[in-house]
Amino acid sequence: MAEAELSGADVDRGDGFDDEAAAAGLQRELWKRLFAYAWVYKRNIALLAVVALFTAMFEVAYPLIAKWVVDDVAANGADASLWLWGLLHLGCNVAMATLVWALVWQSGKIQAYASHDIRRDAFANLQRLSFSYYDHRSTGWLLARLTGDCNRLTDILAWAFLDIVWGATMMLGIVVAMLAIEWRLALVTLAIVPMIGWLSAKFRKRILGTARLVRSANSRITGAYNESIMGVLTSKAFVREQANSRDFGKLTTTMYRVSLRNLVLSALYVPLVLLVTALATNLTLVAGGSLLHAGALGVGTLIAFMMFVRHFFDPMEVMGHWFAEMQMAQAAAERVLSLIDAVPEVRDSEAVRRALAATARTAPRPGLAADGGQKRIERVDLKDVGFAYQGAAPVLRDVNLGVGMDETVAIVGPTGSGKSTLVNIICRFYEPTSGQVLINGVDYRQRGLHWLQSNLGVVLQNAHVFSGSLRENIRYGRLAASDEEVEWCAKLAGAHDFIMEMERGYDTEIGEAGGRLSAGQRQLVSFARAILADPQILVMDEATSSVDTETELKIQQGLKFLLQGRISFVIAHRLSTIRNATRIVMIDGGRIVETGDHATLLAADGHYAELYRQQRLDEATRGRAMPE
Amino acid sequence: MQTQEHRPDERGLWRLTRGQRLRYASAVIAIALANGCMLGAPVVAGYALDVVTRADLGVGLAPLGWMASRLGAVDPVLAYLLVSALVAMLVTALGAVFMFLRGRWAAKASEMLARRVRDSLFRRLHDLPASFFDEADTGDLLQRCSSDVETVRLFLSSQVVEIGRAVLLLAVMAPVLFLLDARLAALGVCLMPFLVVGGVVFFSRVKRQFQIADESEGAMTTVLQENLTGIRAVRAFARQAHEIERFGRRNRAYRDNIFRVNRLEAIYWGVSDLFCLSQIGVVLVAGGMFLAAGDITVGELFVFVSLIAQVIWPVRQLGEVLTDSGKAVVSLGRINHILESQPESREPVPETPRASGAIAFEDVRAGYKPDRAAVVDFSARIPAGQTVGIVGPPGSGKSTLVRLLMRLYPIHCGRILVDDLDVREVDRRWLRGQLGVAMQEPFLYSRSVAENLRVARPDATDDELAAVAREAAIDDAIDGFPERYETQIGERGVMLSGGQRQRLALARALLKDPPILVLDDSLSAVDTGTETRILEALARRRGRHTTLVIAHRLSSVRQADRILVMERGRLVQDGVHEDLAAAPGPYRRLCEIQGLLEETMEQDLARPARRKDDDNG
Repeated sequence: MAEAELSGADVDRGDGFDDEAAAAGLQRELWKRLFAYAWVYKRNIALLAVVALFTAMFEVAYPLIAKWVVDDVAANGADASLWLWGLLHLGCNVAMATLVWALVWQSGKIQAYASHDIRRDAFANLQRLSFSYYDHRSTGWLLARLTGDCNRLTDILAWAFLDIVWGATMMLGIVVAMLAIEWRLALVTLAIVPMIGWLSAKFRKRILGTARLVRSANSRITGAYNESIMGVLTSKAFVREQANSRDFGKLTTTMYRVSLRNLVLSALYVPLVLLVTALATNLTLVAGGSLLHAGALGVGTLIAFMMFVRHFFDPMEVMGHWFAEMQMAQAAAERVLSLIDAVPEVRDSEAVRRALAATARTAPRPGLAADGGQKRIERVDLKDVGFAYQGAAPVLRDVNLGVGMDETVAIVGPTGSGKSTLVNIICRFYEPTSGQVLINGVDYRQRGLHWLQSNLGVVLQNAHVFSGSLRENIRYGRLAASDEEVEWCAKLAGAHDFIMEMERGYDTEIGEAGGRLSAGQRQLVSFARAILADPQILVMDEATSSVDTETELKIQQGLKFLLQGRISFVIAHRLSTIRNATRIVMIDGGRIVETGDHATLLAADGHYAELYRQQRLDEATRGRAMPE
Repeated sequence: MQTQEHRPDERGLWRLTRGQRLRYASAVIAIALANGCMLGAPVVAGYALDVVTRADLGVGLAPLGWMASRLGAVDPVLAYLLVSALVAMLVTALGAVFMFLRGRWAAKASEMLARRVRDSLFRRLHDLPASFFDEADTGDLLQRCSSDVETVRLFLSSQVVEIGRAVLLLAVMAPVLFLLDARLAALGVCLMPFLVVGGVVFFSRVKRQFQIADESEGAMTTVLQENLTGIRAVRAFARQAHEIERFGRRNRAYRDNIFRVNRLEAIYWGVSDLFCLSQIGVVLVAGGMFLAAGDITVGELFVFVSLIAQVIWPVRQLGEVLTDSGKAVVSLGRINHILESQPESREPVPETPRASGAIAFEDVRAGYKPDRAAVVDFSARIPAGQTVGIVGPPGSGKSTLVRLLMRLYPIHCGRILVDDLDVREVDRRWLRGQLGVAMQEPFLYSRSVAENLRVARPDATDDELAAVAREAAIDDAIDGFPERYETQIGERGVMLSGGQRQRLALARALLKDPPILVLDDSLSAVDTGTETRILEALARRRGRHTTLVIAHRLSSVRQADRILVMERGRLVQDGVHEDLAAAPGPYRRLCEIQGLLEETMEQDLARPARRKDDDNG
């Protein structure tokens, strides 16, 4: 998954979440909310906690068995009941193996399931969020949340929980055992604990911090590879080989530096921990040896103590790792939760939701939609509609427009005049910031979002096709359509001929993002899809810009049929498309400057006439456009 | 591309370590020394235990006993104890130093190697012929460059060291234990072979399951990515429920597969724990028996239990690490496939730094596949400074001609001359340096606008950037960007429209100021008013470059000095607009269709009976 690779730390730069700030201290609220995802599996968690408890207790038992063996031999010599101890050891081993198996099983379940649930919720919310959300978040950013971040967080939820329960129990058990056996020696041994704690705090976070730098450098390297592959022709054309390699060399040098730092920190940390552990062991040896020499201690006890030391520092290590990882992962947690919590700007009102809930139980009456309103769309009216993107200058101002059944409105105007925004508002992808859009005379904010949007057919300039066969792609317009219907729509859209020329016809797989289709072919498929959807409102945003004129002529004939009984909005550069519209709306600077049919507007000799003259020649010469 | 193209080869890994072998050897020696030290400490402690239990310096290590007696303490046993602890600390400290050195050297060696592999992959990607990329899948190539390099790097930095550690631990420990007591030593390692072999067998068996989990993650990510990139299509048809269901299926499949892997791991960890713990148990109980029989001392028992407990866990890892290292060999094969692909050939650089720009095609025949020629018997002579329009239906070979001129693809027959130099006999970089190409779907770097322009000429001044931006009619758009020329392009900056991209690419080509300028359908997404502005700017440059204009619209070519009409790879017409339009043929047909449309438009315009249009209609 190359794209997933790409979406590492690099896409996170400047997204409003500060990794450094989030890594300071543990934020309980954050983890409480995330833990709720694991808490769904209460039974597993309870089981996990019990099993971890037992595991820790058994681990405490092992040094004790060693002590009993040695003490028994010391006391009874050849009469020592070693077989008994052997059986006990074996019994513990079998129990431990079972417990470990259960631990990994339960944690594995919580990890896999919680991760699934977070992704499910995030995805569902993504389907609700308005386009304005997508304006600020790149695909890479969103992907990184639902893949890497999700797994990382649920790893913490499952494994950190396990390790913390296990580690804490085990440390507690060891302390209790040591204090019970010989409290003076125990105090000597435990004197080292603060040192390990300090070391761990000092190093763990730094190691994880450099690990983040490594991830970030790595994603930039992958990005550079991606760019070098995608842009190979450009690099060759501009003889950029050496310059690119030089730039890339800087990236790999950074990568070398940060990952060396990361590895060297680890290389320093591990021996230091061993050294401190050895200090504890040897302190125990000297103190315990003196007691032994004085006859105040059995040799078995001393051996058990020295074994305890090792067992004691393992969980400390592991827990230190998890606390640091939790701190480092807090930024990821904030990002994921922000995705789940984001509230769509465009959403059903309270009243609509109530109405929908009511009809969910009883089927709506004929002629009515699920939200209780009229099903059929007869009129669309814009009343003083204005729109501004957050904090920006208004894109649309005082737009008034009424469109009835069978009408086709062509929207023309220079680039950036607000044509696409207007269409997006009609589709309720955005809502007007002032004024109203009325459908059948009712403000569309009082109607269901799904009702309106399931009655739309939208064909965009950058037509998106999904992986899968051509048939599946067209059928996306109406999932229940038969093969005949699919083909019939493809014929209307002028897509049938090129589809039949493909090696497997409608069953041809077109690959991700339609890599095998030309831009024009993608538009035709998307067009066929819209026809199949049989929408009440049809929107075409530069829908045939990449199609050659012969094909477009064919489409025009299909269109004539298609526009019957619908309300249509068409944005187009080609005036030949526009001429046939029942009404032309000329937009400039966010306002409607002219409106009327082709002949009227030409006669008025205003903006439209000017535009038409300017494009006249172009239109003619496109007579046989030759898209490559 | 198949991974099988390159047989995985262990020697490849060995060759790769060239230049870092000394460092690696040092790291291995450091591992051995560190192991010796780390295992030495418990031995010292074991003897101390014996000295204390028997209160006899004679059973301790002789040098330590000597040192203890020299201290002149009241109680020599306590003195021995203290000396032992100090020595054990020192030995551990020494071991820690060796461990650090091992880590540092291994890290340095493997990171250096990884950097070398990354750099050479990048360089080679630039040297490979364009045809290589036609056959290759971008995602696959990217995976070779990223995750395959990572696999090899991990192998070099941690797995080699892991394996070395486990093997050397055993190698250092075994003699010590066998010297102490051969029977107990044999019992102490008796379960280890099962552990290693069992691990290898287990992980090779479950490899498939791991792959399935990886694949299901990939499938889920694909659905997710498609949904996100196609979110407008999803909303346009209100298909949210369908999408949630589709994603839910993949999400569940991934969850179930991961859970399956986790369950398998649970079995492995449980069973291998049983083996490890039992191995320690065997030593403890058997050691107790020998202790009772007086064959070993309590100190020796301590040494046995400590050492086995220290070695058993790395040995358990061995099975997994060995299985994983097999992946490194496969990854290396995939990397080598790129590194060993044939790069573009190198020819001498001509003496003239700048060509005049005369081009001659002589009976050129070429194509992407040997059996289907895209250009057939194409001959044309274009003097320096001429502006030539090239028109023809899709697939007629217009773009191929440009690619041949740039020598991106091989010419099968005939030849192409630039300034009387056969393009096949001059350095490609020199040749491409003579050309400035603006393509229909241009590639822009995700950097700033200025950096994208300077790709063509790194030393261009800001004024020069502004001048070409004006000529390409992109200046207004740039001035509208938040940080003008410093605005980032791409996902983290402004997203450009198709027309803006084309104009930026044109500005870039103009900035290069090349002897030969090629516009390969590079104004198709530009609106007409803007196009007129650009064509006027280009007209002012007339004579400065030899200009090839591949046309989408006739308006771009009709002012050319000459128009070449192509059909099915052949040159079918050659002349100026007026002549071609007058003679019967494909160009005339074009004009007729145009005339028809023009007529209706003229009628439209005639109705209001306003001023005649002034330009070349």
